[in-house]
Amino acid sequence: MGDILLDVIDLKIHFFTDEGVVKAVDGVDLAIERGKTLCLVGESGCGKSVTCRAFLRLIANPGRLVSGEMHFRSSTNGTIDLAQLDPKGSAIRDIRGKEIAMIFQEPMTSLSLMHTVGDQIMESVLLHENVLKPEARDRAIEMLQRVGIPKPDRLVDEYPFRLSGGMRQRAMIAMALSCNPTMLIADEPTTALDVTTQAQILDLMLDLQRQDNMTLMFITHDLGVVAEIADDVAVMYLGRIVERASVDTIFNAPQHPYTQALLRSIPKIAMQRDELDPIKGMVPSPYRRPSGCTFHPRCSRRIEACNRIVPSVTELAPGHTVRCLLYENIQETEALQHG
Amino acid sequence: MDAVAQQPELEPTWGAEADDDLKLEVATQWQLMWWKFRKHQLAMAGGAVVIFFYILALGAEFFAPKLFTWYDKNYVYAPPQQIHLIRDGQLAPFVYGYKFERDPKSYKKTWLVDEETIIPIGLFVSGEPYKILGLIETDIHLIGPLDQDDPFYLMGADKSGRDVFSRIIYSARISLSVGLVGVFISMMLGIVLGGLSGLLGGAVDNIIQRLIEIMMSIPMLPVWLAIAAVVPLDWSALDVYFIITILLALTTWTGLARVVRGKFLSLREDDFILAARLDGAPGMRLIFRHMLPSFYSHVIASLTLLLPGMILAETALSFLGVGLRPPVVSWGVMLQETQKVAVIAIYPWLLYPALAVIIVVLAFNFLGDGLRDAADPY
Amino acid sequence: MARQVTPGNGKNMADDQNLLEINHLKMYFPITQGLFGRVIGYTKAVDDVSFTIRAGETLGLVGESGCGKTTVGRCIVRGYQPTDGEMLFRKADGAVVDLSMLQGEELRPYRKEIRMIFQDPYSSLNPRMSVFENVSEALHVNKMGTRAEMEERVGYLLRRVGLRPEYMKRYPHAFSGGERQRVVVARAMVTNPCLIVADEAVSALDVSIRAQILNLMEELQADFNLTYLFISHDLSVIRHICDRVIVMYVGKVVEVAEGLDIYINPQHPYTEALMSAVPIFNPRQRDRDRRIHLEGEVADPSNPPSGCYFHPRCRYAEDRCEHETPPLRQIDAERGHYVACHFAEKLELRGAVIE
Repeated sequence: MGDILLDVIDLKIHFFTDEGVVKAVDGVDLAIERGKTLCLVGESGCGKSVTCRAFLRLIANPGRLVSGEMHFRSSTNGTIDLAQLDPKGSAIRDIRGKEIAMIFQEPMTSLSLMHTVGDQIMESVLLHENVLKPEARDRAIEMLQRVGIPKPDRLVDEYPFRLSGGMRQRAMIAMALSCNPTMLIADEPTTALDVTTQAQILDLMLDLQRQDNMTLMFITHDLGVVAEIADDVAVMYLGRIVERASVDTIFNAPQHPYTQALLRSIPKIAMQRDELDPIKGMVPSPYRRPSGCTFHPRCSRRIEACNRIVPSVTELAPGHTVRCLLYENIQETEALQHG
Repeated sequence: MDAVAQQPELEPTWGAEADDDLKLEVATQWQLMWWKFRKHQLAMAGGAVVIFFYILALGAEFFAPKLFTWYDKNYVYAPPQQIHLIRDGQLAPFVYGYKFERDPKSYKKTWLVDEETIIPIGLFVSGEPYKILGLIETDIHLIGPLDQDDPFYLMGADKSGRDVFSRIIYSARISLSVGLVGVFISMMLGIVLGGLSGLLGGAVDNIIQRLIEIMMSIPMLPVWLAIAAVVPLDWSALDVYFIITILLALTTWTGLARVVRGKFLSLREDDFILAARLDGAPGMRLIFRHMLPSFYSHVIASLTLLLPGMILAETALSFLGVGLRPPVVSWGVMLQETQKVAVIAIYPWLLYPALAVIIVVLAFNFLGDGLRDAADPY
Repeated sequence: MARQVTPGNGKNMADDQNLLEINHLKMYFPITQGLFGRVIGYTKAVDDVSFTIRAGETLGLVGESGCGKTTVGRCIVRGYQPTDGEMLFRKADGAVVDLSMLQGEELRPYRKEIRMIFQDPYSSLNPRMSVFENVSEALHVNKMGTRAEMEERVGYLLRRVGLRPEYMKRYPHAFSGGERQRVVVARAMVTNPCLIVADEAVSALDVSIRAQILNLMEELQADFNLTYLFISHDLSVIRHICDRVIVMYVGKVVEVAEGLDIYINPQHPYTEALMSAVPIFNPRQRDRDRRIHLEGEVADPSNPPSGCYFHPRCRYAEDRCEHETPPLRQIDAERGHYVACHFAEKLELRGAVIE
């Protein structure tokens, strides 16, 4: 693999609730290549959002980063292990917004109602860069122009609630990109939008990414979006990445039974009516994780060992890894886990 | 063909969902609330204190060594006695008697502890006769001197030689029930007016909201003073008590009415209410079966937080002399005696009723906090 | 507003295959201002909509947020009292009744016939009532059977939707989103209805669960001879489950067509834009230029543009579009294709990419 920007090794984030421990992220390995778009796909509760929040150390109580390393190649300070930083310290605050920016599904959760769009963009510019107010304002207008907001010099003084959903999402992207981050994490940024607006926002993000050679990490449950924008795809199920490959491999030659089943279960325009093939069963409760491979109760290709052995990461081809017993030497893994 | 058999296999095969642990799945909202409330330790403690005080109030005759009307002119302003447990190496609780000196110039009486006189005390002793809950005649008191003519002032005596400790216990009756009755009346007003406002909307809503705003903008203290001025002196204590509770209720229902209105307004838009309406549920059933249950836990919690306000208001009114009047005894009435700073300086034990007020109000607040947190267990 | 139609009992429908006929349906919500709630305008959520639902079909209703599709659904189940228009419903005995004319108790028999499935399985079940109480409420209020009979019916339905009958004692919080949606389907089925309005019934569900619920709904349709009005913004789901599709834009119907027709042969510029945004699940066919970017924002239903509501965003708009409202007209008699565009015949529009 090429130039790795962020290398995550064995990340574990557990939530210690009154009802028990929820292993939201349970051993995630993920290498994110510079300048590429990585899509993290999974159903609700699989831990995809928690993983990304962990990069910025935004995990709140009762969640805890239990173990793992997150080596980030900072543009100014060499390689930093984000897992070692104090979540409230200045080191991580310098990275947040400036080196790694994040946008969310619902723009109103990160835009303040009390301040104008321009003020909010200016604030992050003033915080991270040594510029004066008029310059920051010019930058805000420039950013609004870049994200395709009409009449940016007028809209810079508007309050967010006066904007439509699509415009708000654009304003949020402008805010996230105002300090030219190396990496942008987008957590379901188009889920709340209409299809035609969604297409516009996706195009916008891809254009901006290309212009700045930015690394884009895109979290979504929508495989249609993945097919449109991803370079690489990581599929998550119950806290683990079960398959990781190029977008072409994921859609045309998926290997993990979960990825295969997921692709079979989506309705497509070309399909006939009776062809839907759902994955059986429900996503289990986070307190009752199945033993062994967490997907085994719903898996159509399970073998006897699946409920005992946690599959390890197997590399099928360069850049294509999978966590499934079908692709590994079971005796070896078992000896390793029990020895 | 049997369509059921075609269903995809839905049962999880790992078996954790088996029926052995059905507790959580079939728990009603009250069970869930109780489980959540139980974790709130401060609220549990507050609840225990509140229950303790209500038990005291109910059995005041039994818990208090003396009747609240009882007095002994010989022991005016006698200071609190200390209980000693061990005498001559044996467990035999006692208090020392009193003696006094007179300042030769001012003739002022100064109380001293008389270590010569030993007054043995005990549990379940005979004292003045009373009726348990007004029914069974008895003369057993929880604590008191073995000889009921001996002086026994755990929290000192007041200007007439009455026992402060006994009177605090009797006062709990009035002080805690003024709150309850007031809260009940304000709950009725709040739910009915707030409910009408939220359910009917339109002009009714408009009128009720304006009424609430007017009520909230009236400064209540002058109104109380004015009403106190017009209450005829020959009214019985009971009448005054009644007026006070209604007054308190009239000033507190507005907040609750707004909560109830807001809840109804937001519930009206909820999908599960629409679902019930489309099921054909008639209006009354919609309100009582579907809407009310989703917020009466909130109402209970806000009532619990209203109660301490009521208790404080009663205390304040009585302290100012516009509330209850002797011979009715409440914490506020007792505190009337402490209006002069000089009295507090010389006889600080007269402030014990204030301590009771603080403990009860804090306990109610902790309890209400816990209830509020547990009110929505979903 | 004055009623233009007389009570519809005894009215006739154009086609005896029709189960429901919506004629000139209007739903205006007043916008009020000031202390006394003076009405200063109306939000025209549904503005003169006409269509029919044939017995046994699945009719799709698509459009973006704010287009009025949910309001149409809620008018049909009579969650709202329509401002104007007819909603003719054919009863089991063949008689036709206008649902928009009925009030209160008169609606009761039809509430059993027309049921609703909601979008969010978390907010549409009463968390304080058990599954049995939630599902059986319609039986209870309509006095349909004893407690034992209701339990039997609920148990049977739970089995039919793929849940264990013993689950009826549990409360909704014990279930996952997919299981709750099965309970919601069971609740809709409990009175043995003939028409179910499914408002975004699978939009809130995970991908793997979505397919389960879609399959379940198709199965129930076949077994119980159900008719669905399926409201959704998701074109792939609509394509999968619907026989005919209606496209709405700002309170108006812009296009109606059979099955695949609307996908490969859209006749309205707005439909074309919608179809261009249909996802393609194959990265090898990625083509960013196929997506049509609509200019500006969706029109405000309280202050819609003149003429064709879509003209400010339409790339084919001409003068006429600004002044003249295009009627919904049939352009293909054979396939029942209707469109509301002046230039439908002239325009060459692109359909969705079929993999």
